Amino acid sequence: MGTVIVDGHEVEIRDGERLNGIEAAARAGIDIPHYCWHPGLSVVASCRMCLVETGRRDPATGEITMLDKLVPACQTPATDGTVFVTDSDKVVQARAMVEEDLLLRHPVDCPICDKAGECRLQDYFYQHGHTERRADIRPFTSRRRSLGDTVTLFVDRCVMCTRCVRFCREIAQSHELMVINRGAREEIDVFPGFPLGNPLAGNVVDLCPVGALGDRDFLYRQRVWFMQPHEHVCAGCATGCSIFIEEHQDRIHRVRPRENPHVNQWWMCDEGRHGWKHVCDARRLVEPRVRRGGVLVPVNWEAAIGDLDRALRASAQLAVVLSPQLTVEEAYLLVKYAQSVQPAATLLLGPVPMRGTDQTFAGGFTIRAEKCPNRQGVQHVLDGLADRQITWDQLLTQQARSRPYDAIWIAGGYPTDWNDADTAGRLRGTPLLVVQDLFPSPLADQAHWQLPATAFAERSGSFVNRGDRLQTFQWAVRPPRGALSEGQLYWRLLGRRGLYDARQVLAEVAEEIVCFCAALDPVPATGVNLKVQQLA
Amino acid sequence: MKADDPRVKWLDVPPMGLAEKLYLPLVTHGLTTTLRHLAAALAGKTVTVSYPEEEPQIDNPLIYRGVHRLNRDAEGRVKCVACFLCATACPAHCIDIVAAESPWPDREKYPASFVVDELRCIYCGMCEQACPVDAIELTSLYNLTGCSREEMVYDKEKLLSVYDATIDREPMRSADAGETA
Amino acid sequence: MNQAIVLEALIKTVIVIGGLATGAAYLVLLERKMAAWVQDRIGPNRAGIPLTDIRLGGLGQPLADGLKVLFKEDFTPAHVDRWLFTLAPVLILVAAFAAFAVIPFGSVLPVRSAATGTGAPVSLVIAPGVNVAVLYVFAVSSIAVYGVILGGWASNNKYSLLGGLRSSAQLIAYELPMGLGLLGIVVAAGSLNLEEIIVRQAAGGWYVLLQPLGFIVFVVAAFAEAARLPFDLPECEQELVGGYHTEYSGMRLLLFLLTEFLHMITAAALIVILFLGGWHLPGGLTGSTDEVGWFGALARVVVLVGKVFLVIVVFMLVRWSWPRFRYDQLMSLAWKVMLPLGMVNFLTVAVLEQVRWAWRLEGPYWTALLAAAAWGVCAIAVVLLAVAAPGVADNRGCRFTESEEQTG
Repeated sequence: MGTVIVDGHEVEIRDGERLNGIEAAARAGIDIPHYCWHPGLSVVASCRMCLVETGRRDPATGEITMLDKLVPACQTPATDGTVFVTDSDKVVQARAMVEEDLLLRHPVDCPICDKAGECRLQDYFYQHGHTERRADIRPFTSRRRSLGDTVTLFVDRCVMCTRCVRFCREIAQSHELMVINRGAREEIDVFPGFPLGNPLAGNVVDLCPVGALGDRDFLYRQRVWFMQPHEHVCAGCATGCSIFIEEHQDRIHRVRPRENPHVNQWWMCDEGRHGWKHVCDARRLVEPRVRRGGVLVPVNWEAAIGDLDRALRASAQLAVVLSPQLTVEEAYLLVKYAQSVQPAATLLLGPVPMRGTDQTFAGGFTIRAEKCPNRQGVQHVLDGLADRQITWDQLLTQQARSRPYDAIWIAGGYPTDWNDADTAGRLRGTPLLVVQDLFPSPLADQAHWQLPATAFAERSGSFVNRGDRLQTFQWAVRPPRGALSEGQLYWRLLGRRGLYDARQVLAEVAEEIVCFCAALDPVPATGVNLKVQQLA
Repeated sequence: MKADDPRVKWLDVPPMGLAEKLYLPLVTHGLTTTLRHLAAALAGKTVTVSYPEEEPQIDNPLIYRGVHRLNRDAEGRVKCVACFLCATACPAHCIDIVAAESPWPDREKYPASFVVDELRCIYCGMCEQACPVDAIELTSLYNLTGCSREEMVYDKEKLLSVYDATIDREPMRSADAGETA
Repeated sequence: MNQAIVLEALIKTVIVIGGLATGAAYLVLLERKMAAWVQDRIGPNRAGIPLTDIRLGGLGQPLADGLKVLFKEDFTPAHVDRWLFTLAPVLILVAAFAAFAVIPFGSVLPVRSAATGTGAPVSLVIAPGVNVAVLYVFAVSSIAVYGVILGGWASNNKYSLLGGLRSSAQLIAYELPMGLGLLGIVVAAGSLNLEEIIVRQAAGGWYVLLQPLGFIVFVVAAFAEAARLPFDLPECEQELVGGYHTEYSGMRLLLFLLTEFLHMITAAALIVILFLGGWHLPGGLTGSTDEVGWFGALARVVVLVGKVFLVIVVFMLVRWSWPRFRYDQLMSLAWKVMLPLGMVNFLTVAVLEQVRWAWRLEGPYWTALLAAAAWGVCAIAVVLLAVAAPGVADNRGCRFTESEEQTG
């Protein structure tokens, strides 16, 4: 237990807590400007923006002795009795000088810089800089070079905070980036022939406090102030990174990580970062179709829902395949619907796409080989509600051999190719095959009912990741015209009125399935751990 | 503001004199004003501009807010750097820009497409004020017509052609701006 | 014999209706031109002979307007009372035309009428020698109220209904001062026959000189009856989006608009006939008796029509000169100003006529003296009313102090 004094406010720190000046001040609600310090990286104290006055209070007498010179807050540990002063004239002057120095060599090409609007240099100059620029320097065009396939460096915009260099060394541990030259000629660069190409490379763009590093995928696409960020969860792998989906008028422009200490800390992989392209793919299925006279013809939803319900109720043996792409709520509703049609319907988990092996980085960030977001959640729902489960392979084998099921509903929604002619062949001959998927595939093409699925960014609900952490999210963009989200479709098949409400369904799930009891309370932005709650 | 707001200043009705109560002076005053204008109009002093035959005179073309133009730089390339500030400032959301990497070595970003919906535009001139390189300007062309909505959506080439058509009469507001690009 | 009467009446009817319809159409053009001139504009000057570039200074405009209205959709909204909705414009137009049955548009022609067989010359009025002409005009023009209120009621629309109600209240309120203004003339002329009244003025001086107060009251009331500015509350585009004819379109709207101009012509004709000497012009050009040649007969027509035209021009000028009355001001003007003035006028005329009759004060000298007395009374009455200021009412929002609220 200790007390740190920041600008006269007393901040309590617990025993064993290791805070620096910036973190201690943040607890008092005081923002110390900084460029180079990042909570996930080592401390270098090179930008000098966080310079503050510091001192010690004598625990016995209460007398405070201040240091004469300014110290970087990021490098100064906050211990019992440490005093920080962040608003003295000396500090204010130091910050203004740092800003002036940074802008001496800056191109000031904000109008064409993609960082403008969320740039630390802009913000800090506005808050802490001189009101006018003493140096008579005209704006110029920054030099530009490619660091790799995805990242472009605007050399002159850089403030040499070296966050990107440290990230590559400490987290990605691929050591591509380095500082070349010395003094005023310092620059970020890569070795010839060793471009920036690690699986986490995109994070350096988020880390860059100014507009020096640009993601080529997003470069020049949209100004940041037009975009609306939506809290969401990445569906790329079983890690389920917390992310922001940034869209403008239902077009996704950028995905960036959202800080979540339990899941992804501050990072996300490039695959997830650029893994939203399937959302706006023109090949997507966008309308329900039914097979009439051998060909699939479009129908409207009103008719489709009624006809589909009647067709399913006419069947004798129903099997429902739940994709690990479904949210917990959607899986629950689909199970409920299947059981309302046939109480003894067979329920099973769809194929789980696996690729490579789990890849864990320093600090614990992991890219999973399981390339689906919610196997765990769907499995929990099945375990809680279904009496008899079989596997996907068993279904294919049984159906190819003796055709025990005369109706199969396959909820797909996979962003990648997941079935082939062989899969389709094994299910051929099923009297009623309902396939709900994002893209045309051999299986979808032989369905009697082909229903459009919606992508992760278009759905509301919750995913349970490999660590049994449940995270909820709301839709970020609307589905393409004609498509009905899974949740809304199941909601209406169940005969419920109004709009699908994921929160209400999650409350039902938590009531009914013990495993989800932790979700009874409102789920915080960082999610809840189902396992911990179960143990407790 | 409500009627009982303390900031409301209440004035009493000024009392009317006998002349006002008689109506007659004011009645004649009104009639004489009308007759004066009538006589002047009959003598030919009217303000009407018979438009298709006569062209209206625009007093100061530099402050007139007519059709937009996209200025060219010294080398004849589009001056715009696709910073989206005009689109940001636009209250009518009539400007649509698609930015791209410029094909020229000395420029970084340029508008691959720059579209102004002249029908949606309210001609407020805020785009002109927002532009950091003085690339978009409003000209004094007032007779903007078209036979379809599509025709009134001006693309980059059309906006540049407005520049070519008007630059002789209306110089750029500031010729030296735009070196950020 | 009867056929001749019918034929003569038919010919005159065709002339009058044709003249009025054309006249009203061109008055629309004149109204627009006047509006333009007063506002330093040119006004409509494009429509000329179709398919050519000849513009005729806009003389083709009425024709173009008429064609346009004819080809417009005559839309009947679903929520209206269809019978009354259709009846209203017809009723109001018929009433407006009917008033012209007794209004002379000249004097007489030096042709012996075959109709009567008495050898009397042909009168330039559809129904000659009607003894109750003035009463008839009043009765028929009152029917206009029905048209207006039927239109407003049948439209089933709050603005139309408000316009109709305002209009009926206004027309009824101004019938009274109008009648009072007229009563003096009836007393002085001793006749309700409009032709007779003109002849009396030709012989004994225009009533505008002899009864100035009556003239003022009658003219103000005539403006209100014709619903012209500053009394156009039935329509008042600013508040009631057109008032009683908001829901009308196409041909039926045209009937309403035509009727408004007919009302203006009626009012102007009455002012001219009752107060401005009708076809009489001082100086002997038109003579003053029924003995008239072809030239005199035509001159009388021209003089009468010319006077009516000038009065209409004044109507149009007034429209652009003065602001409109508020509804309560309109009512207080009618009941508190015009009605007393009309009574004073009637009393004055009655007394002066009695004096003239009792002492047989004939001749131009006495006539001038009596006229001077009438002018004197007029001035005194107007000044007295101005001092009493019954027409001034302030109904702006009042500020109540707390004490006043408690007590009041």
